[in-house]
Amino acid sequence: MAVFHDEVEIEDFEYDEETGTYSYPCPCGDRFLITREDLENGEDVATCPSCSLILRVIYDQEQFMRDEVVAEPLPNKELVKC
Amino acid sequence: MEPRLLAWGANSYGQLGLGHKEDVPVPQALEDVSCKCQDIASIAGGGGHSAVITGAGQLFVCGHNKDGQLGLNHTEDVLRFTLCTALSGFCVKQVACGWDFTIILVGSGLVLSCGSNSFGQLGLPQISGPCLIPQKIESLKEKVVSVAAGLRHALAATDSGLVLQWGTGMASQARRASQGKALPVFLTAKEPCEVAGLADVKVKAVAAGSCHSVSLTDEGHLYVWGSNKHGQLVSRNIFLAEPKKIDTQCFSHEKIGAVWSGWTHLVAQTEAGKVFTWGRVDYGQLGRHAVVPSGQQNTAPEHCLELGNTPVSVPCLNGASQIACGSEHNLAIVGGQCFSWGWNEHGMCGDGTEANVHVPKPVKALGCAKQILIGCGAGHSMALCQNSSLDPAHLES
Repeated sequence: MAVFHDEVEIEDFEYDEETGTYSYPCPCGDRFLITREDLENGEDVATCPSCSLILRVIYDQEQFMRDEVVAEPLPNKELVKC
Repeated sequence: MEPRLLAWGANSYGQLGLGHKEDVPVPQALEDVSCKCQDIASIAGGGGHSAVITGAGQLFVCGHNKDGQLGLNHTEDVLRFTLCTALSGFCVKQVACGWDFTIILVGSGLVLSCGSNSFGQLGLPQISGPCLIPQKIESLKEKVVSVAAGLRHALAATDSGLVLQWGTGMASQARRASQGKALPVFLTAKEPCEVAGLADVKVKAVAAGSCHSVSLTDEGHLYVWGSNKHGQLVSRNIFLAEPKKIDTQCFSHEKIGAVWSGWTHLVAQTEAGKVFTWGRVDYGQLGRHAVVPSGQQNTAPEHCLELGNTPVSVPCLNGASQIACGSEHNLAIVGGQCFSWGWNEHGMCGDGTEANVHVPKPVKALGCAKQILIGCGAGHSMALCQNSSLDPAHLES
């Protein structure tokens, strides 16, 4: 069984529109990453490129797909509200 | 005898100042520090950046700079300590490195900030994006004596004992925990806002975790607020929206003289020198056994609350002259020797392995060099040592 470093709500992630990636700070200094595509596919494990630590993303897949259509045109780079 | 600055641990952004971006599992001496090492007066680190202050009040920085957190007016990572020239008119007294931003306290009690402002953590609501040059936080009118920075929030204590907080880092957790109740303004403020509930006490120092805040009063009491996901606030509630005093009974009724915070664990030292730790325990953060059988670790809050939520003294740290907390690891100087414990995946404990260190142990590679100063970033460690007796075999590896 995978041991998660933490469980974090999707609203606490920062979103980068250019790469379509959500990120959250990792204690090593790098960031846990998960793409929008992963989330759309029901993936809920964000990984850190520098670490073995993993994070569980708390989100509702159906809600996420619905809200995305609305969130897309917003210029807000920092946060996409879930 | 010229002292030397050594660094080890995570180095994804060049935060060790060694001129490269490879992790370093044992302390390595910096060859090229822009300032004279004997002048270094304090060492600090953030998510992926590092800062040292000289006795003359100059600030030298290196590491991650994507959001301008180094204050050098650009966004390229910097692999060696470099003078922050924008502060040349100021005498820097204290620097608090947050995740991707920096809070700078200067001699006159003014506070400046630079880096990411995505969560209002710079205290500069008039600036919408990141800030590449330190800017004065004009709304802090009173003289500040202590600053702290978390993942997405910052704190200042003033000369008269007030505490101000800014940055919305705690707001979403607060909202989820509040069940519709209105939140105190300071949890959602993008400029310094007085923390309610501390009117009757005088705060002399502040510390910040990833999503919690700590205040130490002039009477030696601790007040905490924010996330309690890992028992770091010594409470049964998952979130404290207002400051709560930690019962002095937890510290055998001794007065607290200093406090430090990791991301989700705390370390406090009583005036008599005893060191207590509490909060998240699963990587050895507390430097004491809390019996987590391997393979059965569980991050469920209720589990962690049971294991770590009572401050317990760690006798081997008694009388520590300095302590520094990284995100999940720690350094302390005890009897002139540097000890480390906690998370070690990137070698931040400096023993050459990646195995977590559950009980404080001396950083052997520092030999019997006299250790003068220590500092931690999230996943990295730094120490200033007298170089005469450093063990060269360790330093070259």
